[in-house]
Amino acid sequence: MKHSRPALLAALLFAAATLPWWAGNQYQLHLATLISAYWVLIGGLNLVVGYAGQLSIGHVGLLAIGAYCFAILAGAHGVHPALAVAAAGALCGLCGLLLGLPSLRLPGFYFAMATAAFSLIVTEMSLALGGLTGGGVGIAVPAFPPPFDTPQGFYYLCAGAALLVTWLTGNAARGTWGRGLIAIRDSQVTAQAVGVPVFRAKLVAFVASGIAAGLAGALFGALQSYITPDTFPFDLGLFFFVCIIIGGRGSIVGPFVGTAVLTALPELVAPLAKLGTFFYGLLLLVVVLLVPEGIGRLVEAAIRRFRPAREESVPVRPDLARLAAAIREGRG
Amino acid sequence: MDGLLIAIVSGVANGAVYGATALAYNAMFSTSKVLSVTTGHLAMLGGVFGAWFITALGVPAWLALALAIAVGALFGLLTELIAIRRVLARSDEHLWLLSTLALATMVSQAVGLWWGTEPKPFPRLIAQDDTAGPLDQKYWLPVLVALLLAGLLELFYRRTLYGKLFVAMSEDAFAARARGIPTDLVRAASYALAGAMGALAGFAAAQLTFAYFAIGLTLTLNGFIALAVGGLGSNPGALVGGLVLGVLSAVTTYFIGGEFQQTVAVGLLMIVLLVRPQGLFGHPDVRPV
Amino acid sequence: MPRRPRWRHVALAAALWLAANGAAAQSAIKIGWLSSLTGPLSSAAIAENQGVQFAVEEINNAGGVLRRRLELVTRDTASDPTKAVNFAKQLIFADKVDFIIGPVNSGESLPTVPIVAHAGIPNIVIGTLEELTDPKKYPRAFRAINTNRQWIQPANHYALDVLKRRKVAVIGDTTGYGTASAKTATELLEKAGVTPVYSTLIDPNKTDLTDELNKARAAGADVLMPWSAATGLLARLLNTRGAMQWNVPIVGHPALMAPPVKPLLNKLEYWDNVYAAGYVSTTYDAKGRLPPRTQALMDKLRPRFGGREIDFMFWWVALGYDTVKIIEHAIKTAASTDPAAIQKALENTRNFEGVYATYSWGPDARNGFPDHSIVINLGGSFKDGSYRAAPLR
Repeated sequence: MKHSRPALLAALLFAAATLPWWAGNQYQLHLATLISAYWVLIGGLNLVVGYAGQLSIGHVGLLAIGAYCFAILAGAHGVHPALAVAAAGALCGLCGLLLGLPSLRLPGFYFAMATAAFSLIVTEMSLALGGLTGGGVGIAVPAFPPPFDTPQGFYYLCAGAALLVTWLTGNAARGTWGRGLIAIRDSQVTAQAVGVPVFRAKLVAFVASGIAAGLAGALFGALQSYITPDTFPFDLGLFFFVCIIIGGRGSIVGPFVGTAVLTALPELVAPLAKLGTFFYGLLLLVVVLLVPEGIGRLVEAAIRRFRPAREESVPVRPDLARLAAAIREGRG
Repeated sequence: MDGLLIAIVSGVANGAVYGATALAYNAMFSTSKVLSVTTGHLAMLGGVFGAWFITALGVPAWLALALAIAVGALFGLLTELIAIRRVLARSDEHLWLLSTLALATMVSQAVGLWWGTEPKPFPRLIAQDDTAGPLDQKYWLPVLVALLLAGLLELFYRRTLYGKLFVAMSEDAFAARARGIPTDLVRAASYALAGAMGALAGFAAAQLTFAYFAIGLTLTLNGFIALAVGGLGSNPGALVGGLVLGVLSAVTTYFIGGEFQQTVAVGLLMIVLLVRPQGLFGHPDVRPV
Repeated sequence: MPRRPRWRHVALAAALWLAANGAAAQSAIKIGWLSSLTGPLSSAAIAENQGVQFAVEEINNAGGVLRRRLELVTRDTASDPTKAVNFAKQLIFADKVDFIIGPVNSGESLPTVPIVAHAGIPNIVIGTLEELTDPKKYPRAFRAINTNRQWIQPANHYALDVLKRRKVAVIGDTTGYGTASAKTATELLEKAGVTPVYSTLIDPNKTDLTDELNKARAAGADVLMPWSAATGLLARLLNTRGAMQWNVPIVGHPALMAPPVKPLLNKLEYWDNVYAAGYVSTTYDAKGRLPPRTQALMDKLRPRFGGREIDFMFWWVALGYDTVKIIEHAIKTAASTDPAAIQKALENTRNFEGVYATYSWGPDARNGFPDHSIVINLGGSFKDGSYRAAPLR
């Protein structure tokens, strides 16, 4: 399985790079762009939910802040879009910091409720600060300048951002720091005991996810071309969260497949669109009860079964002589 | 001045609903150490099914109340069977949060699809003209029910054998099991009890909240804030927390308008958690392992 | 088995080929219909859908337009702007529709109208927000419904000049539509020299409005003007006014007199002293008759509704019916479905007689609905899909 990874990755990259040629029409291209923009957020959120095990269900609030920030700066104030994207990322990183500082100290349920409340507050604010956000009427979001002003160009921009996020989170997750996050997820007390700086690691992951959410907001807003508070319903935050859980925690491929499938599925299967969020709830329940590791892990396990990896056995050979010496010394 | 009076009365009534929701949280938490996302939805079910039994099926109010409580208890039981029992057996700490979130999402969406997404009115329970102002039943019914629930719960825990089983399990589930208490059964009973309590509160408050699918999430959040403010595990704390939140929301809405309600509620939560993390009546948690 | 003569095969093949080619040359005209058939604002969309479907069937039964069938491609947006954008792109690029009707709600139309305009597809707009049409930015977006201003202006006129009230309380809700309408209403009142004594925005799901009404009363308001499409909120407003025993007139949005308000009222008399913007096309005259075109459509449709009295606002059906008839008219006038020709045909349309209204667009006019087709109706006068006019004393 190990050696097939690069080939698979190359095939995926090739497919993504050539998508504008083989996609049947612009609508499919739009979906691919939407998946990429979502993935920029979900990829970052994956560090928080999938790795550190902090269940944030309110990231839609950060997405909204990013989108509004980009729309206001690049639209009303004529700031260069590249700068506006950077500002959106920075602002959401800051919001992540401000939200994370008090709430990441709290136990799981408290944290989930704090993030849910945060997203509701953002909705309230976007309505109340009408002078800035256009209130309920919303505001138009400007498009990116050439060469990103065509559907193809914008797709490449979003896909590129998605790739960057994947690469960054992949690197972070493989390092010591990522292992530390997993340790926090599995047992906070144990992680603390072995010297993982629990709060700092969680905070860094959360701020990183905030920056990613800000970037995603700018891309998502530009793709939508017009945003209102209705564009960012609470259910969308739930959707991001479900993508990760269903894909599998502690993996990057799993949540990506989750994002792609869950975004495209309701578009292609009309009855599912009607059920909407009920369907996500059902999927979440089934996965939690039957395959808590996520569907992604199930697929990996199936692959492993078909191609059994060689068992690596590490025989335990205690140094009996030294042990005996130690015992003798203790007695003596 | 009359306006402020009404605002405070309605704040107290809303606070009573938050407090009753917090009581349901406590009932489930005591036996399972789980804070269920479905808690607010129990009250939602009480309101929606109550309205459905009375208006669509033409059932008399007392029977509708009994049936609504039965629906709530059944849903509580199902929550325990589906989302708690299997999940608690696993070592993963937060799976219950996912499973109850999933169930809560499903039930609120299902009710939205079936009942409609608009708030629908709840019929009058007691013959009273609707010009009574602050003395209207929609204000005092939820307060009465919240007080009644807290009182009965206290009697149940202190005076009955079953209640003592609950208390024993909340003190130490393993010790309770070792002494032969059927912990699975007691947990299931506590969820059914919480379901009945939530549905009763939702039924009593439905003239105020309306039969509306989305109040589930609001109550889950606001009931939790009441719980955290009052102190997790404390029933008097739950009522006080609810009262504080309800009146604070009403007064701020009265003076600065309704645009910042959620912000005010969460602001209260954050202040309490920073200043007194265990809540007003709670005990500080000293055992992280 | 006797062999059939070969020429028959040839003839058959030729006939099939001709038929297939003929069908291709006269393939169906595709109309995309962005409708929020589920979700919070579905009642108007469901009624409009009745009209849209009926018009398509009627036209197809009569042989189609230019001998081509109409094909309706319906997409349920569930009132979600993100879904509306996705479906708009799907209709444009995957289904390759020739026309798009909708979306139903302004909140969904705000993002879709620019997208449809960018693709150059004719769009029949049925949202009321002013910003949805613009002859320069969206040259092929033609509005069939009235604008928000066309509702607010007559209501203001009724409150100020007929009821002779000067102390207005403007009430909006916190949705996009409610916020924008309350703002427009305030602007128009100020233009008429009246500054509202009280204005507020209420969460459409707020259940207790005593607070707001007490403040309006304390501010000395002598007329309440709610601008919200949320029937639940409006019903609670009427109930609260009744419970306070405050007999202040309410003048505002058509949803004030929508049938779903009725079961929400604590007492039926709370619907008295309520006036709302409505349509001439669905208003009974002094003799209790409807305009002939409305009556004709109603008679044709009644069997579909089971022959019963109509229990929803009939103007939504009339509007849905008209959107398809406008498309039919444009195709006939242009003698093609070429978007540029359609634009020209609609720009040159004057006094096109629909059921809902008589429409006129122009090179610089994209709002085809005439001011005089709005009338103030009496709340609670609903009967069989239509209303009585408010007294002009």
